[in-house]
Amino acid sequence: MKKTILSFLSSLKLTIALLIIIAALSILGTVIPQQYGAGESFTRMSPGLVKTFRSLQLLDLYHSVWFIILMCLLSLNLIACSLKRFPTSWKLFTATPSLDRAKPFEDLSSDNIVMIEGERSGITSRVERLLMKRYKRFRRKDTDTATTFYGEKGAYSHFGVYIVHASILIIIAGAIIGSLWGFEGFVNLAEGEFTDTVYVGRQKSLKKLDYTVRCDKFSIAYYDNGMPKEYRSDLSFLENNAVIFQGPLLVNHPVTVKRIKFYQASYGSIPGGRVHITITRGNDKGTTLTLNLKDSFCLKENGAKVTIQRIEENFMTMGPAVLLSIHSSKANTQLWVFKDIEKMKRAIPNLLQKVPKFNPGLFKPYYFELNSIAQTYYTGLQVSYDPGVSTVAIGAFIIVIGFFLAFFSSHKRLWVRVDEQEGKTRIMVSVQSNKDPVGLEREREYLLRHFKKGS
Amino acid sequence: MIINTTILSWVTFIYFGSAIFYIFRMVTGKEFWGPLASLSALAGLIAQTAGLLLRWFESYKMGIGHAPLSNLYESLIFFAWAIVFLYLIVEWRIKSRNIGAFVIPFAFLSMAFASFSPDINTRIQPLIPALQSNWLISHVITCFFGYAAFAIACGLGFMYLLKGLEKGENSGPFLRFFPRREILDELTYHSVVIGFIFLTLGIITGSVWAYSAWGSYWSWDPKETWSLITWLIYAAMLHSRFLRGWKGKRMAIMSIIGFVSVLFTYFGVNYLPGLHSYF
Repeated sequence: MKKTILSFLSSLKLTIALLIIIAALSILGTVIPQQYGAGESFTRMSPGLVKTFRSLQLLDLYHSVWFIILMCLLSLNLIACSLKRFPTSWKLFTATPSLDRAKPFEDLSSDNIVMIEGERSGITSRVERLLMKRYKRFRRKDTDTATTFYGEKGAYSHFGVYIVHASILIIIAGAIIGSLWGFEGFVNLAEGEFTDTVYVGRQKSLKKLDYTVRCDKFSIAYYDNGMPKEYRSDLSFLENNAVIFQGPLLVNHPVTVKRIKFYQASYGSIPGGRVHITITRGNDKGTTLTLNLKDSFCLKENGAKVTIQRIEENFMTMGPAVLLSIHSSKANTQLWVFKDIEKMKRAIPNLLQKVPKFNPGLFKPYYFELNSIAQTYYTGLQVSYDPGVSTVAIGAFIIVIGFFLAFFSSHKRLWVRVDEQEGKTRIMVSVQSNKDPVGLEREREYLLRHFKKGS
Repeated sequence: MIINTTILSWVTFIYFGSAIFYIFRMVTGKEFWGPLASLSALAGLIAQTAGLLLRWFESYKMGIGHAPLSNLYESLIFFAWAIVFLYLIVEWRIKSRNIGAFVIPFAFLSMAFASFSPDINTRIQPLIPALQSNWLISHVITCFFGYAAFAIACGLGFMYLLKGLEKGENSGPFLRFFPRREILDELTYHSVVIGFIFLTLGIITGSVWAYSAWGSYWSWDPKETWSLITWLIYAAMLHSRFLRGWKGKRMAIMSIIGFVSVLFTYFGVNYLPGLHSYF
C-alpha cells in the first residue's frame, strides 16, 4: 500500500496530469469572472449559475480547495520524483570509473583512432597537457604497454533538474508565507482625510495599522494630447501626531513605511467641488464668494436666492462651468456661468443671442463670473504586506540558474588510450555525454584534430 | 505619415518577398531563390532595426521619449523583428534555408497586421503612468523573444507533420527539401527550450514589475494566468520528452498547441477583463 502510494506520487503520469489539470482550471478561472474585483459581471449571469459556481468555489478559483489540493499534489509529486531519482544522479556525479575498463574502447570506429609517427612517451605527455587544460576532473593510469586517461566535466549538470524543482517549491513556499502572514488592503482617502485602518477584501475585514496615513493632496498631470502622465498622492504618515514619513506616491514607485507598502492604485473626484464666484452689480467692485454644491446666497436686489445647482469640470467640452438657479418673487431663471466665457464669445460671435442661458449677465443688473473650480479628489491606495516576496524572489533567481544547468550544460566523459601498434603510436578517443550530442561531437572533433596535428 | 511607420510598412513587403522566395525555392527545387530569400530577410531586418531606432529617436524629439515597445502596434513590430532575428541565427547555425518558408510568413503576418489593420494605432503615444517603468524594456523583450522562439517551433511542427506525408521517391521537390524528421524534431526541441527560458524570464520580469506597479507579484490577471497556462503546456511537453522519450509527431502537435496558447496569451486575453490592457 505504502509502496503504491509512493510510486503513484513519483510517477511522470501524475506530473503530466497535474500540469494539464492546473492549466485547465486556470483557463476556467479566466473565463468565469472571479469574485475579487469583478463585481458587476455577476449581474449578467443567472442567479442559479452564480449559486452553483459559488458552491463549487469557482468564483475564487485560484484560492479554492481544488486549486490548493492540486498545488499540494504537485509539490508532493516534485518531492517524490526528486527523491526517487536523486540517488542515480548522485552516483553519476561521484562515479570514478576504473581506468582498466576496456569497454569504452570496444567497437570504436576508425574515425575515433589516430595513428601517428613518433615516440609514445612524447606523444603521451602532449596528450596529457591538452587534456589537463580542458578537463578539471582528470586521471591517468600507466601500464607497460599503454597509458589511459580519463577526464570529465560538467558533472554538476545532473543537478540542474533538482535545482529547478527545488526553486519551484521555494516559490510555492513563498506564496504560502505571503498568504498566511501577509495582507492586501485598500483604502480611499479624500484630500485632507486620514485613516489608520484599511479594508482587506479577501478576508472582508478591516486591518488596523500601527500609524496613520493622511492624503495631503492628489494631483493628475496630463500630456498635451490629454493622456494621463502622472498620478500623484502626497502622503504623510503619522504616529502619535508626529510625522514619521512624508513624500509623494506615484504609480510604479511605491512607498514603504514600516515594512508595509503603499501603492497608487486608483483615484476619483468627489462630486461637486468648490467654486469661486464673483458677483458684480453695475459698476461696483464686486464680491467674491466661495461656495459648495447646493449652497445658496441672497442678492440684495429684490431678495433673489441663488443656488449652485451643478458644478462641471468641463461642460460640453467648453471648460469649467456652474449652473445657477435663481429664484425671486418675479421669476425663476437658470443660467450657466462659464469660466472661459470671453474666449467662447470670441469663437462664436452671437453666442449669447443664440443661447441666452449662457449669458452671465442674464439676471440684470447682476453679472456673474466664475473664477475657478477647486476639484477635490480622493486617492485609492493599495496597502500591502507580503513577507513571502524575498522567498519567491530567491526561487525565481535559482530557477534561472537551474535552467542553464539543465538545458545548456552536459556531463561529458572522455577516455583516451595511447599505445603502440604496427610501429606507430595509436591514440584512441571515446566520448560520452548525458545530453547535447552536438556539443559532444564538436568536442570529439576538436580533440582528434589536435591529436593529429604536430605529429 | 511619420517616416518610421513608412519604413516599417515597407518592411512588411520585404518580408512578404522573402517568404515568397523561400516558398519558390522549395516548390521549384531551384537553389537560385535561396540567397534571394535570405538576403531579403536580412535586408528587411536591417531596415526594420533602423525603423525601430528611428521611432525611438522620434519619440525623444516629441519630448515623450520611450523605447518603441509600448502598445499593440509596437509589440507586433517587435514580435516580427524577434522572429526574423532568431530565424536568421538558426539559418546561419544549421547552414540550411529549408525552414524559412515556414517561419518568415509569421513575421510577415505580424507586420501586415500591425501596418494595415484599421484598429491599430500606429502613432507614437506617450507612456501612461503604469507603463513608466524600467522593467518595460526587459519584460517586453524577454516575452517576445519567447513568443518568437515558440513561433519557430510551431513552424517546425507543421513541417514535421507535412514531412510525414512524403511517399518515397515520387513526392515532389517540396517535401524533399524538408530536413529529415529527426533534425526537425531536434530543432523543435531546441526552439521550445529557448522559448521556455525566455517565457520564464518574461514572467519573472513581469512579476517584478507588477510588484512595484500593482502591489502584488501575482494577481491572477488573465494575461498572467494565460502566460502560466502556456508555461505549463510547454513544461508538460518537455517532461514527456525527457522522461518518456516522446518525440516526433506528438512533439510536433504539442508545439502547435503551445503556440495557440501563446497567441491567446498575446491577443485573446484582450477580450477578457483584466489589468493588462496595453497590448
